[in-house]
Amino acid sequence: MKTIAVDVDDTLNDFSETLRTTTFAHSAAYNITPETFDKYVEMLRSGHDQPNDLLSTEYSYFCYKIHCECYKLATARPDAIEFMQWLRANEWRVVIVTYRDLRRSNELTRKWLHDNEIPFDYLFMTLNKLEFCKAWKIGYLVDDHLVNLVQSNEPGGPQVFYPVMSKHKTGVIYRGKGFENFNELKQWIQN
Amino acid sequence: MDSKLKLLKEFYRGLPKDRAKFETCEHGFEFLEQLLAGGAALEYGEMSFSGLIHKYKLSRVPEELVDELLISHLNYRSNLCLYFGHKSNSLFCFNLDNNHKTNNTAIIPEMELLVTLLREGLSELGCEPLIIASGRGYHLWCRLAAAVDNDSLYNLMLGSTARAMLGLHKKGYDHNKIKANFYPDPRSRDIVSLRLFGTEHIKNKVFSRVLTREGLLDEPSSWQAFEDHMLEKTIGVDTFSGAHAAIMASFLKGS
Repeated sequence: MKTIAVDVDDTLNDFSETLRTTTFAHSAAYNITPETFDKYVEMLRSGHDQPNDLLSTEYSYFCYKIHCECYKLATARPDAIEFMQWLRANEWRVVIVTYRDLRRSNELTRKWLHDNEIPFDYLFMTLNKLEFCKAWKIGYLVDDHLVNLVQSNEPGGPQVFYPVMSKHKTGVIYRGKGFENFNELKQWIQN
Repeated sequence: MDSKLKLLKEFYRGLPKDRAKFETCEHGFEFLEQLLAGGAALEYGEMSFSGLIHKYKLSRVPEELVDELLISHLNYRSNLCLYFGHKSNSLFCFNLDNNHKTNNTAIIPEMELLVTLLREGLSELGCEPLIIASGRGYHLWCRLAAAVDNDSLYNLMLGSTARAMLGLHKKGYDHNKIKANFYPDPRSRDIVSLRLFGTEHIKNKVFSRVLTREGLLDEPSSWQAFEDHMLEKTIGVDTFSGAHAAIMASFLKGS
């Protein structure tokens, strides 16, 4: 059976755009002042990491809450939905592989996939998708993350494909293969 | 092996067994399909950055599989972690973790003091915990004679930890260096699970040793302490009610 691993955020959906453009509303549930809330929104949008050496902080909790909002609000790409349904129809084993913390977002993620009629077989979280594909002998990975595009195509690793975004147009040479539309990917992997 | 299996089942008898997290080095679709063959479902999987450890959150776990997973746990081949009941439980646990991004398996002074303060505070209330080294800190397990509603369990844990954190603060330590989680937590269901006693940590290969006032016990002594705790330190429901009332009253008085 052919197996493919597919990322969710910025691959099947428009997560970054959702994070950039959504007007998030402050509420008491965040446990911070409106001023701190606005500051944290700006930090998160600018890609700031935690400002100290601690794992669990007020800021990390804020990031988790906002990310969950984006997981719900993000829009699925129509060509991605069609591609995923094509995989199912053609008996591929489909693994959703994500950086999300599924301990807290498993239900959200499943609901979003279900609501968008995106079929899959298994859901996995890992911070090392290339190693995951190697370990599980998965031949194909679809993912937007730059690290996976730079380091891909190592022996025993998957072929990596990515939806071309503005962040990829940096002059860096990627080993992964970029596509504008999932239909292109369909052509490549069925040959 | 049989006696250890029986002991584990008896100690954790109050936790639901239809869902579990299984941590192991084993992986691959053949392995996964075998794991799920008896009817269990994979909620999600997880692979560590190194690729060495795989975790599987399972639901609809059949009884026979629980036994298999427990035996694997006792044979040091894997770790079995269980979730808590949604409404009430006959166990509750404080999970204290070193909250640093790096070098977080070190036992920092804040951790040593907090675990001591919590042990003494809970013991004064008649709820002496069984303290087990967990990797990034300690698990403090309290076993009850019968199930108690989750709100009461949570309030007792929150109140007693706040008291202990205050003690930490008074000694000039930063409480932010420790992350305290409570199980069960009525705000979340089936999100976090706890590793059971009786095996080596799948990542660092260290046995889940019991911490007494004299220090960490070796493996055989830890098993003995585990059994002794179950037989002698299981908390009666009336004792728990008294402890809960005392904690709540102290907060109403603002002390």
